[in-house]
Amino acid sequence: MNWKMSRVVRTVTDVMVVPIIVFGIYLIIHGHLTPGGGFQGGAVVASSTALLIIAYGSFRDYKKDFSSVESIGLTLFIFLAILGILLGATLFYNFGAGTGGLFGGRVAEGINPGYINTGGTVPLMNIMVGLEVTAALSLILWMMAKSSDSMEVEA
Amino acid sequence: MSLDLVNASPAFILGIPLLFAFLTPLADRISKELRDAVFMIGLLLTVLFVAVMSYEVFTAEGWAYVFGAEETGEITRFSFFRIMFVADGFAALATITVAITALGAGIYSFAFMEGQTGMEKFYTLFLLTLAGVNGMILTADLFNLFVWFEVTSIASCGLVAFINYKGKSVEAALKYMFISVIGGLFLLLSIGLLYGEYGILNYFAIAESVNGGVVDRVALSIILVVLGMKASSVPMHMWAPDVYTESPGAVTPFIAITSLGSLFVLFRILFVVFRYSVSTAALGGLLIILGLLSMFVGVSMALKQSDVKRLIAYLSVSQIGYMLLAVGVGFSTLENGDYATFGALALEGGFFHMINDGVYKALLFLSAAAIVYSTGTRNLNKLGGLAHRMPYTTMFFLIGGLSIAGIPPLSGFSSKLLIYKSIYLYHPILAIIALVVSIITFALIGKVFYNAFLGPDLGLSKGEVPTTMLLAMGILTAVVVVFSLFPNYVVAEIVVPAVEALGVTA
Amino acid sequence: MNSLFYALPFVMVAVLIIMGLYTVLFKRNLIKMIMGVAIIQNGVNLFLVSLAYREGYVAPIWTSAPDVDMVLPTPHALTLTSIVIGVATTALMLSFVIMLKKHYGTTDSHETRRCKE
Repeated sequence: MNWKMSRVVRTVTDVMVVPIIVFGIYLIIHGHLTPGGGFQGGAVVASSTALLIIAYGSFRDYKKDFSSVESIGLTLFIFLAILGILLGATLFYNFGAGTGGLFGGRVAEGINPGYINTGGTVPLMNIMVGLEVTAALSLILWMMAKSSDSMEVEA
Repeated sequence: MSLDLVNASPAFILGIPLLFAFLTPLADRISKELRDAVFMIGLLLTVLFVAVMSYEVFTAEGWAYVFGAEETGEITRFSFFRIMFVADGFAALATITVAITALGAGIYSFAFMEGQTGMEKFYTLFLLTLAGVNGMILTADLFNLFVWFEVTSIASCGLVAFINYKGKSVEAALKYMFISVIGGLFLLLSIGLLYGEYGILNYFAIAESVNGGVVDRVALSIILVVLGMKASSVPMHMWAPDVYTESPGAVTPFIAITSLGSLFVLFRILFVVFRYSVSTAALGGLLIILGLLSMFVGVSMALKQSDVKRLIAYLSVSQIGYMLLAVGVGFSTLENGDYATFGALALEGGFFHMINDGVYKALLFLSAAAIVYSTGTRNLNKLGGLAHRMPYTTMFFLIGGLSIAGIPPLSGFSSKLLIYKSIYLYHPILAIIALVVSIITFALIGKVFYNAFLGPDLGLSKGEVPTTMLLAMGILTAVVVVFSLFPNYVVAEIVVPAVEALGVTA
Repeated sequence: MNSLFYALPFVMVAVLIIMGLYTVLFKRNLIKMIMGVAIIQNGVNLFLVSLAYREGYVAPIWTSAPDVDMVLPTPHALTLTSIVIGVATTALMLSFVIMLKKHYGTTDSHETRRCKE
């Protein structure tokens, strides 16, 4: 990949990448309270990768890192699900809800302003899915950009 | 709350392949040996939990496993809104079929895929397909069925296109993908129709209130077409020969097992959800017509093939026809008195044929892949004299081939005999057609055997295939031989519980 | 009039699915066929969301919600899952087309039929 967009595009990209990533992380963390969650937030974070690829063209080979993050996210997700069985309940049992630990607060009854420290394993799984989706979508975009680029050279 | 591994075995059958699928890329960072070991451990653990679940089902009784519940084994009204897995005789039969084939294909792929790059992704896709098929079989929830259907489609398409320096395998995978995705979307549409009408997705909860109106019939037709297409029944079989031919030899039996898995799901939905709301005679008749078409078109298309894998692919389409025919006969007699006389026998024959077919078809595909591995060609006109240098492969192919042709005393004969006996009582002409198809199948197996293995040594073969590949084919052959020696035992212990699990008692 | 208003989304669903099927069946370019699949997918998603719609009800989110009835959340969950699966299938199909273009040098579906040879 050896294209490069104009200075305007690159500067706007530099400015926008940070807010996009922050917004994506916000969506992931608040997934159990408001619309959003792991997939949506991860897709938003991955869109920053898309911006960087389009603006800068050349992009270092992060294939192995993306792939590792993806596998780690998914492994932890399934592990959290299986932990439900190992603790004596069933697959995907929410063992963290209402215990007072991380995200272990009690869920308020009825309409509430939204307390972030609730949800048990749900926010943890959202974070794992967020990691996975970010890495996977970035990997897909990177691979597609790379292979379509090499195609131009061959033709 | 207490840890109960036996009760949780349906969840482990799903969870273990998923966990190890995502562990293999991480293990690959450390070393290749660790990656292979992790894959093998995942596969063996899955087989172990299938055995645990089946043993519990056969000795005690089946149970429903509810995801996310605090207490295991407790079914409340609320459970029907959660994801539910059923561990019953039918699920045990299906998962045993999948597990045996997966074990064979998994061991086979070590040597067969040696030298390919990116093998950690191959193992991931393999285990994901295994999880997807198991999920499709075990679930009792329509939407969960859609999710596992799509997981199976995506992962198996990745497997088909795995050797992607050949354009044809990518082409076959794209064809399979288009068909699976559009099929999956229409499956989702029919699920939406049923949900819109009854407000619930659980099979058993829908079965209580299903009324057989126009919406139900539309949904049922869509489900029948989509799952029948995935099961490669004629006239929806056009993807099967390309995909079976062009996929890597080690995974071809696994692609075939996704077809069988769809057939299992189709039968479960027909028997559990729609049994009391539709005319079983009419629907059974439809299944019989599909079965006859599959048998006849499959075997007659196989006649003109000169590519060994393509030929077996068409034979596999024709074997699907036997199951549709037998289960169609059994289904159509549910409402009248014929069920006790021959309907139950037809169901037993059909289900016994499914487990037999899964195993010997895997054996045939693997020995065909061994031919390709050793000689580099699939063309029957060029092959010849392989028996001189590949005696074990010759023996394995012969056992698989005689079994698919239904020659006594092999396992294919036992199940086909049950089918002939029962469908003869339904209508004699059906049994005659089934016998004719069986004879043509025997002739085709004879042709392949004569062309590829007999005759003077042409020096095509590089010698016998590696030991692990022989071991994989040996395991499948051992299963075929056990099924051949003790058909009564297998029918009584494995097949009859499956028939009884579908709510059918003689 | 009111019933017509409720039927409108379902009419749109039928239009979208037929449009998508037409694109898949009659267009020769593989990329356009994948776009057709995406159109069918959107039609099915719209169908699921329309099933859940009730007049005057709000989305089923408890955080700072107004005090009125909420629609059923299940179809929305189904739609989200379907969208996620759709992303995966579309990406995989596009990757296959990229590889086919490399091997065959074309994305014309009439010229990518070499399995039967």
